[in-house]
Amino acid sequence: MSPMEPRVVGARVPRVDSCDKIRGSAKYIDDFNYRGTLHVAVVTSTQPHADILYINPAPALDVAGVVRVIVAKDIPGQNQVGCVFPDQPLLQHERVRFVGDRVALVVATSAAIAREAAAKVVVEYRALPSVHDVSEALSDSAPRIQAGGNLIAHLKVRHGSGLGIHSESEVIAEQEFEVNYQEHAYLEPQGMMAVPSGRLVTVSGSMQAPAYVQSAVARVLGYNLAQVRVVQATTGGAFGGKEEYPSEVASCVALAAVLTGAPCKLVYTRQEDMQVTPKRHRMRLHYKIGATKDGIIKSVHATIQVDAGAYAGLSTVVAERANSSATGPYKVPNVHIDTLVVYTNNLLGGAFRGFGTPQTTFAMESTMDILAWKLAMDPVELRRKNLLQLGDTLITGAPLPPSAPSMEVLETLLTRSDYYRLKADAEKHNETSRWTKRGVGLALNMYGCCLHAGGQHMEGSGALVQVRSDGSVEVTIGGTELGQGANTMAAQIAAHTLGAPFGNIRTLQSDTGLVPDSGPTVASRTTIMSGNAVLDAARQIQQRLVQFLAGIWRVPGETIELDGGMYRSGNRSIPFSELVREAGRNRVHLTASGWYAPPEKPWDKETGQGVAYVTYCFAGHVADVEVDAMSGLARVRKVWAVHDVGKAINPAMLEGQAHGGIVQGMGWALFENLQLDHGRVLNPGLADYLIPGAMDIPEMDVSWIEDPYPDGPYGAKGIGEPSLITVPAAVAIAVGHACSRTPTRLPLVPEMLLRWLHE
Amino acid sequence: MRPIQFQLNGKQVSAEVAAKDRLVDLLRNVFTCTEVKEGCGEGECGACTVLLDGRPVTSCILLAWQVSGRSIVTVKGLPAAALDRIERVMKEEHAVQCGFCTPGFVLSIYSLLKEKRHPSREEIQRSLSGHLCRCTGYEAIFRAVERLAAEGGMP
Repeated sequence: MSPMEPRVVGARVPRVDSCDKIRGSAKYIDDFNYRGTLHVAVVTSTQPHADILYINPAPALDVAGVVRVIVAKDIPGQNQVGCVFPDQPLLQHERVRFVGDRVALVVATSAAIAREAAAKVVVEYRALPSVHDVSEALSDSAPRIQAGGNLIAHLKVRHGSGLGIHSESEVIAEQEFEVNYQEHAYLEPQGMMAVPSGRLVTVSGSMQAPAYVQSAVARVLGYNLAQVRVVQATTGGAFGGKEEYPSEVASCVALAAVLTGAPCKLVYTRQEDMQVTPKRHRMRLHYKIGATKDGIIKSVHATIQVDAGAYAGLSTVVAERANSSATGPYKVPNVHIDTLVVYTNNLLGGAFRGFGTPQTTFAMESTMDILAWKLAMDPVELRRKNLLQLGDTLITGAPLPPSAPSMEVLETLLTRSDYYRLKADAEKHNETSRWTKRGVGLALNMYGCCLHAGGQHMEGSGALVQVRSDGSVEVTIGGTELGQGANTMAAQIAAHTLGAPFGNIRTLQSDTGLVPDSGPTVASRTTIMSGNAVLDAARQIQQRLVQFLAGIWRVPGETIELDGGMYRSGNRSIPFSELVREAGRNRVHLTASGWYAPPEKPWDKETGQGVAYVTYCFAGHVADVEVDAMSGLARVRKVWAVHDVGKAINPAMLEGQAHGGIVQGMGWALFENLQLDHGRVLNPGLADYLIPGAMDIPEMDVSWIEDPYPDGPYGAKGIGEPSLITVPAAVAIAVGHACSRTPTRLPLVPEMLLRWLHE
Repeated sequence: MRPIQFQLNGKQVSAEVAAKDRLVDLLRNVFTCTEVKEGCGEGECGACTVLLDGRPVTSCILLAWQVSGRSIVTVKGLPAAALDRIERVMKEEHAVQCGFCTPGFVLSIYSLLKEKRHPSREEIQRSLSGHLCRCTGYEAIFRAVERLAAEGGMP
C-alpha cells in the first residue's frame, strides 16, 4: 500500500511553527519565568594560560541578592564536561587554559546582580607562557597545554601507493592555505534552565543534541541518565554552535539548581557568547595535487593542521570529516593525508555547518584551479574529467554509493549559470574597467550524509507518533528543530504516511522523556534519520489501521489503499479521522515508537579506509563577484546553487536552507573576521563582527536534482550543510579571477584585495 | 527609582524605573512582553525592535525613562487585520526559520508598508537593514514584503 495524492511530501506546505514565531508567542528559553527562579553568572578566566593561586568569593557574597558562589569542590559528581575526551573540567580550580575558561558560578536573584557579583569574585593568577598558533604549538619548545602534549590526534588517509605517491604525476600543483574562525552568530544566544524536583532535574533550553546534555548533566551531578530529563526549548538558530556547548551551560544551571533547590537559568549576552563558545576551526592546510599531462589526477598529498583550542571538544570529530573529505568529489587513486589536531590557548573550535569541509573544499578547489592553470586547461574540464561517479572508488577505498548524480549537478550548474558566457563577460568587463573588476568562480563538493563511521555508535534515531482519538496527531522526533524545519519535515512524513490532514499534525519539541537518544542534530542527517524513524512509526500505525479496517470490512488487507487521506477498498472508503475514531472505540493501539539505524560501516582508523558515510550529497556553486578597486570591497552579484537532494520533501524549506547557506558562506569568505589577541576576542559583538545584512545579499538561483536515495524517507537525503560548503570556495575563486590572484586566506578582507589590485 | 507612564500596545501603563534600566528589560521582565527578543544588546540585530510613536527602534539601546509619555507597540499590539495579513504571507513565503528575529522584522515590515504602498526591492532592503537574520538569507523575507505590497499593503 502506498500513499497517493494529495502529496504532502514534496509540497511547499507552510511550516508548522511559523505562526507562533511570527506572533512572538513561541517560547525560547529566556521567555520562561518560573516563580523563584535564580540566575547564574559565570566567572571566567581573563588569562589565556595561568595557574590559579586562589579564588576569593567573599566580595561577591557581600552583594545583596547573591545566594551562592559555586566552585569546583562543590560539584557532587565528576568535574568533567569534555565532549569526546575527558580533558575539560566544568570549573577550573588549578589552571586555566583559555580566556573564557570557567572558574566559578555566582547564583543570584537576578541576572544583573549575578553578573555584577561575578565581576567581584577575586581570582589570583600566576601567568604561564601561552601558545596561539597551531604550528608553534607543535614545536618542542611550546608550552604544554595538557599533560599528554599538544598533539591531540593524528588522523590519516593512506590510499593507493605509499611513498612516492606522485610518481605517476607529470604536473604538480602545490599551495598552502590558511582560514580564520567563523562565529555562528545564531540570533538567540546560548541559554539553559534547570528545574530540580526531588532526585530529578529537568533541563531545558537552546540545543542541538539533548542526549549530549543529558549525559553531561548526569556526569556532573553524579546522577544516572534517568534522573535527568532534557526538553528542548524553541531554539533560535544553531548551525553547529549548539551541538556541544549547550552541555556546558546546562551543567552550570543544573549544578546551581541542585545546590540551591531552586529553578536556575543562564542566558548569555552576545558578548559572553562570542568570547567563550566554539567557532568554525581555524586551519592551516597544505595541498599538493599531481596529474598526468592530460589532466587525470593521480595523487593528492595534504597536511591539515586543526587549531582545537584549549580542550579537544569535538575537534577530533570535525577533523575526521575533514580528513575523509579532503579531496572533494574527485577520483584520486593515490592519497596521503595527515590531519593534525592540536591544542593551543585559543578558544575552542567546534561544530559549524560543514564540519571541517568548507576549509578543505576551499583548499582543494583552489588547488584544482592552480592545477588547471598549470595544465593550460579549463578548470571545469579538469573537474569533469576527474569527477566521481556511481560505483567509482572513493579515497576511503569504498565504492561511491547511490544516489550519486554528480555529472548532472555539474552540467545543470553550467547551464543555469551560463558559466562560459558569464566568465567571458567578466573578462571583457575587466579589459576596459579600471575601477571595478569582475570574476566568476565555480566549486564542487560531495558531502558525506549522516555521521562518519567513527561516530556510528550514535547514529540510531527515534520518533514517537501518537494518534489521538479525534484524529489529531502528535509527532516527536529525537532530532531537534533549530529553525531548519525538522519538525515540519517530520509532520509532512507523518501526515503523508498516515493519510492524516497536514493540519491535524502537531509537533512537540524533542524530549528525552518521549524519545530515545537519537544522536545529535548535525551532519545533515535529520531528514534521513528522524524522517525514517517517523516513517517507521507512522507505518506501524497505518498497518494497525488497515488490519482493523480489513476486519470490519471483511476484505483482505492488501486490497486497502490510502488515497488522498481516504482509506479505500473497492468502492468503499473512509477518511483518516473517521477511521481513527472507529479504531479508537475498538481499543486499537494508535501510538508507535519508530526507530531507524543504518547498517554497520566497517572502518580502519589507522589508514582512513572503509565505509565513511552511508551516502553523499553532491553540490556545486557558481559565484559572480565584483571588486571595487577604490575600496577593496568585494560584492557578490549572483550565486547559482545546484544540490543533489534525493527528494525535496519541502521545496520551499530546501530553498530556505540553500539561501541561508549561500549568505552564511559568503559572509565567512568576505568579511566575517574574528580577531584574537592572545586568545581574547577583540570583536565580541555584532557591531564589530559583521555578518551579512539585508543590503549584502546576492541574487540567488537555486535548483536541485532528485535522484532518490534508496534508504532515505521517500528517497530524501540532506541539505543543511551542502548549502554552505562550496560557497566560500566559489566566492574566493571568483574574487581571485577578478584580481588575477589565487586567494590562499579567508576571509578576503578589503585591505588584502586593495593591495592586490594596486601592486 | 522614578515613576513613568507610557502607552503599551494601546493601554496606559506605569512603572518604577531606575536611570540605567533598559527599555528591553522593562518590557520583558515587568510587562512580560517576551515577544521582544534580545539578540545583541547593542542595537545591531534588531530582534528587540518595538515601534516608538509608530517608528521602529531597538529597545536594547533605549533607556526605559526615555519612553515616558510616549507610545510603544510590540508585535502583539499591531492591528489584528495587519498582523493576520503579515502572518499569512510570511508563512506562505517561508519567511521564517528559527524565528528569533521574526517579531522585530514584522514591526519594520508593518512600518515600511504603512509609509510606502509600493516599495522597490532596494527600499525594502534598506528599510530592513537594521535587522539581522542568520537563517533565511533574507530572500524569502523580501519576497513576503513584495507580495504584501502587491496584495494591497497594510489595511
